Amino acid sequence: MSEAAAKPGYSVEGVALRGVVCALPARRVTNEHFKASFSDDDINDVVKMIGVEARHWVEDDQTTADLCLAAARRLMERLDWAPDSIDALIFVSQTPNQRLPATACELHGELGLSPNCQAFDVGMGCSGYAYGLWLASAMIAAGCRRVLLLAGDTSSRMVDPLDRGTALLFGDAGSASALEAFPSAEPIHFVLGTDGAGARNLLVQAGGFRALAADERRAEGYDPGHLYMDGGAVFSFTLKAVPALVRDTLGRAGATPDDIDALVLHQANRFMLNHIAKKVGVDPARTPINIDRYGNTSSATIPLVLATDLAERLTREPMRLMMAGFGVGYSWGGVYMTTTPLACAETLTL
Amino acid sequence: MSALYEGLAEVFEVDVGEIDSAFNLPDHNWDSLAIVSTIALIDEVEDLMLNGAALAKCQTVADIEAMIAAARNG
Repeated sequence: MSEAAAKPGYSVEGVALRGVVCALPARRVTNEHFKASFSDDDINDVVKMIGVEARHWVEDDQTTADLCLAAARRLMERLDWAPDSIDALIFVSQTPNQRLPATACELHGELGLSPNCQAFDVGMGCSGYAYGLWLASAMIAAGCRRVLLLAGDTSSRMVDPLDRGTALLFGDAGSASALEAFPSAEPIHFVLGTDGAGARNLLVQAGGFRALAADERRAEGYDPGHLYMDGGAVFSFTLKAVPALVRDTLGRAGATPDDIDALVLHQANRFMLNHIAKKVGVDPARTPINIDRYGNTSSATIPLVLATDLAERLTREPMRLMMAGFGVGYSWGGVYMTTTPLACAETLTL
Repeated sequence: MSALYEGLAEVFEVDVGEIDSAFNLPDHNWDSLAIVSTIALIDEVEDLMLNGAALAKCQTVADIEAMIAAARNG
């Protein structure tokens, strides 16, 4: 890793992104589905503001791990990566198969990876892909040669179907990204941060080991097994934190908004993304948005942009990407990277 | 304040000529979407981040303008 400078963040040398594959569940749910539960005005407001028109949802017997496994198998096949050549598997998700063991260990077994391959879970959401890239890069700098980063969520399993603020917002997806030691790669620059004061503004309270105390939200009917989101608070946090995150990450990289080929933002809300792009001075044409087709897929939003809207270009030519994940935690991560042409960038459905 | 008025006209989907200090917010669908749109608008034109809960209590454009003035003066 390069010498820490006064600028916030970290820079890692010698790491290349080789490919990205995403997996979507076959069940595509359009806004028509919600007409039984919400008024046309409610649905139109969500489309106008957030931008979601369709999303993919898992069936009851499908999990995030299933999606990530299919994506990983396709990725390894495309890259011709032998299972015993992989040194680490990182599974980033807030919807693991079970409380223990780590889902990464199950995936390790399914993929037939080597006993020398480390495998662990990271329980992050909106910022999870940035954290996964950071971990994978730092691990390669420490000596790993090949790392599989699997990131995704099936948030449809956690939302209250009658909560207007969240029911239409989320989609399900899994992703697999391949990172490899590559001494001549351009440095990757990271800025990461947390504001725990926002932890209760986006949460699923049940499922852990803290006893559930009565609180005002539950008195108002909030089911602790469902996702709770204070949309206004999260929105304000995002507008405050993300432009600064992008500026800090670009500053770390010695880059300007004009240098960016694509500003790849966590797909949380179309209105917000357009606002952030304008605020940091990046043309909307260089800020891909696919929330209309897939909804907010948590830690999979960024790889899903790479594997859809940017896929053709990423496999054809080098790109300078400014990626930013932000949300639940509150947690955020910015990544500036110059890619070499990827061996594959594609999406499959199952 | 013209940029603010133009933006508010977009938020409320009315002609900009209808926006003035007395413009009544609750009469024009002053809901959560309008409030977050207004937060973003003020961030854009004034470079100020207003508190959503406080903004929700505003009754008129004059109240919003007073919040902006108070935020600008620290």
